[in-house]
Amino acid sequence: MTTIERDVEAHDLTIVHMGPSHPAMHGTIHLKLALEGERINKAEVDIGYLHRGFEKEAEAHCWQQIFPYTDRLNYVSPMLNNVGYAMAVEKLLGLTIPERAQYLRVIVGEIARISDHLTYMAAQTMEMGAFTPYFYVMKGRDWLWDLLEEISGARLTHSYVRIGGVAWDMPEGFAERTLAILPKIDQIVVELDKLMTRNRIFLDRMQHIAVISAEDAISYGWTGPCLRASGVDYDVRKAHPYLVYDRMDFEIPIGTDCDNMDRYLVRMEEMRQSMRIIQQALEQIPPGPVMVEDKLVVLPRKAATYNTIEEMINHFKLVIDGIRPPAGEVYSYSEAGNGELGFYLVSDGTGRPVKCRVRPPCFMGMAAMEQMITGHMVADVIPTFDTVNMIGGECDR
Amino acid sequence: MATEQTKNEELVPIVIDGRTYHAPRGGNLLQFMIEEGLPISYFCYHPGLSVVAVCRQCLVGLNNGPKLVPACQTLIGNKMEIDNSSYRVLDARRQLLEFTLVNHPVDCPVCDKAGECILQKHYMDWDHQPSKIDHPKVHKPKKVEIGPRVVLDDERCILCSRCVRFMAELAGDPQLVIGKRGNRSVLTTAPGRQLDSPYSLNTVDICPVGALTDRDFRFKIRVWELAATPSVCNGCATGCRCEVHHHRNRVYRLVPPRHRKKDINENWMCDFGRYTYKALGVERLTLPRIKGRDVGWEEALGHAATALKKAMAGDRARIGIVLGADATNEDNYVAARLALDFLEAPALYLGAEPAGTAGDDFLRDNDPNPNRAGATACGRGKLRTSEQLTQDLEQGQLSVLYVVGDRLHLSPEALARAAQLELFAVQATHPSPMVQQAQVVLPAAMWPEVDGTITNRQGKVQRLRAAVPPPDVARPHFQILVQVARRAGLTLDHAGPQEIFAAMQQELAPFKDAQWGKAMAPQLLRYAGSRG
Repeated sequence: MTTIERDVEAHDLTIVHMGPSHPAMHGTIHLKLALEGERINKAEVDIGYLHRGFEKEAEAHCWQQIFPYTDRLNYVSPMLNNVGYAMAVEKLLGLTIPERAQYLRVIVGEIARISDHLTYMAAQTMEMGAFTPYFYVMKGRDWLWDLLEEISGARLTHSYVRIGGVAWDMPEGFAERTLAILPKIDQIVVELDKLMTRNRIFLDRMQHIAVISAEDAISYGWTGPCLRASGVDYDVRKAHPYLVYDRMDFEIPIGTDCDNMDRYLVRMEEMRQSMRIIQQALEQIPPGPVMVEDKLVVLPRKAATYNTIEEMINHFKLVIDGIRPPAGEVYSYSEAGNGELGFYLVSDGTGRPVKCRVRPPCFMGMAAMEQMITGHMVADVIPTFDTVNMIGGECDR
Repeated sequence: MATEQTKNEELVPIVIDGRTYHAPRGGNLLQFMIEEGLPISYFCYHPGLSVVAVCRQCLVGLNNGPKLVPACQTLIGNKMEIDNSSYRVLDARRQLLEFTLVNHPVDCPVCDKAGECILQKHYMDWDHQPSKIDHPKVHKPKKVEIGPRVVLDDERCILCSRCVRFMAELAGDPQLVIGKRGNRSVLTTAPGRQLDSPYSLNTVDICPVGALTDRDFRFKIRVWELAATPSVCNGCATGCRCEVHHHRNRVYRLVPPRHRKKDINENWMCDFGRYTYKALGVERLTLPRIKGRDVGWEEALGHAATALKKAMAGDRARIGIVLGADATNEDNYVAARLALDFLEAPALYLGAEPAGTAGDDFLRDNDPNPNRAGATACGRGKLRTSEQLTQDLEQGQLSVLYVVGDRLHLSPEALARAAQLELFAVQATHPSPMVQQAQVVLPAAMWPEVDGTITNRQGKVQRLRAAVPPPDVARPHFQILVQVARRAGLTLDHAGPQEIFAAMQQELAPFKDAQWGKAMAPQLLRYAGSRG
């Protein structure tokens, strides 16, 4: 008998199972709620319905073959996962990638972050009954995905980043098109702001709901927008600048009320800051190569592979044996859509990881779900769950 | 330090890259560095062959001398100072690879060696530079059928002469030579000769590139798909250590062990032994049979057990049990225990193929039975020969004949007599005249499909490891024996080969010091790095 079942008997409560077959639970989360009338007396959170075995799968693949699997971690911002994983392997290899590649990673990463937050906005508003904003923001996300498709060739699962840089340079006119789309995205953010931020219905359901203090947030291991909404100004891009984030002028928004509304507002502001970063990066981006020149890491060009034995062997060994980082272990972290995305990799010097562990940021958010919803109404579960922005592919891996 | 070089030699201090080592005086420097795991490259050196230093790939600096010296030709002396890491040494290594690759064809995608090629490995370890040559490559004969089992590609050959030396020094048959001069040099045989020695496939193993390939293995599978399970060749009584290479429950080749040990076969195997794996997939017995009719296990075991039980009620000396010289020690031990401890003094025979004439003074033995010694040891001195079995059958002294293994050879008359007995049961792997005459046929697993031990001609007990599962419903010999015995009401109870081995060690002196060995998962060749 679990604690919740004991409580049910002691206090004459009603148990309601929410999910996993519930649209707002993404089909991957099971909440067991003990209700006292409409109030949640106690809750239990079950995760793991979307476990794909990413970490185990990684042990059976070459280092460079793991990229497509990272696409499916947080699948609303795959570029950020690509970047995070590539940075981890590069840390293991001791590689410094060319400046242009660093800028490109920042640009595609921030585009992905905006699309991540837009997706959150869509879900947050729609699941509370506001269908109009959903279409507004999804339209914007589509424009961003057009950009990512243009640069990577894939709309959702990009696999654009490589160990040692990025797959190829941005296409001609990409910068102009990006700069043309950003004001349109800004317009969407403004529209959303007008529709929702001072909307009485929205405020009633968001303000003072699911308050998590800064201490609690830290002890849960929260990072990202949720932590910042609790008033802690921790952002990996500022605290431990990587790539070229130290050259960018941007602000870290933080909340004061630590509630659902703040988590929404922080993301609103982050989209604007991301747009600033993209603009600066596109202005600053220097010409040059987008991949390191390291025969032990980078596949040779096709023409050379087919025509010279040296490059043929090089290609062959990289594909069949894989890149071989020195034996050792590394923890690398970057700021993904939901917070600090960490990769812990162990290498024994062969072509595949001995261990690949992901620190999924929304996993920690799910840990706090119980505390967040306890004491609130059943109807508060949905908006609260949305503010954590749980992505099954990342949470369950 | 593993010691290829003799242990009792005097150790002297030498310095390699600033670190002091104690090495045997007069030992081979390259061998010492290999054993110490130091980073070094080489093509032509092989611990089992003479040293010629033709590839120059192992050049190192010696005592700050003006010229680099090949480590393989340097004998270890007191206070030597070896430079194995300066730019001069690494650059020489790189440049030599550049030269080696000048005329090498762009064949990796179609080359059988790719994935376990030493040239590929060294390129990635030491060179990894782009090509600087824009001159056409020298073309040489490709796809030369140099022998019945070996195919030669002269363009891929890097002229290390390992194969030439192997044939001259170990196979005792100098069938290979290097002809012509300079960059036109080719590996070839003397006019009118072929590479047809019974040891020709060893040249394929030691070829550092894909110049010599095994006709049987060619284009069957890419080597990195294979997994290796260590085992022992069952081709003859020599008992060569080998590796079974398999993929998805199918065996593709047998090769000598990767790690050289100074024992039975070092790095070598005969061609005949390598091809014994083929029997695994050819015409196997897969279903139990009673008088030519396919039946289930229950029916076949029940039939054999009932007949055995009936015979036990009568004169037990009329029950004949035949141990197999191709079955493992564990199988034979269980069969002998059934006969001697449970049936009490029945007739016990050894089923072995008669000696042939294929033996030589290198590896092959005249005795084609892998486990005659082990079966004999299990028989506890009570084994009779197959001639005696023929005689006993003629004189009508048997009522039951139960045969373990495929190796018993009886004349057609003797087989006809056996077929008239109350029970003539055979546990076998392949069809044969004996299987045709048998009343009950029980399909058994072959050696790459079972765990167990066998004893070679020197009395050395070695471990077999199951690499692939038996076909269909075939079962290991010992398991069939135990199941028949149980159904006949005997308490012969054995869980698995390891428990049987432990019991054997307690009871039989020849197995007292034998080792079962560690559990070992098949090693996937892909991520093992280049085998080299």
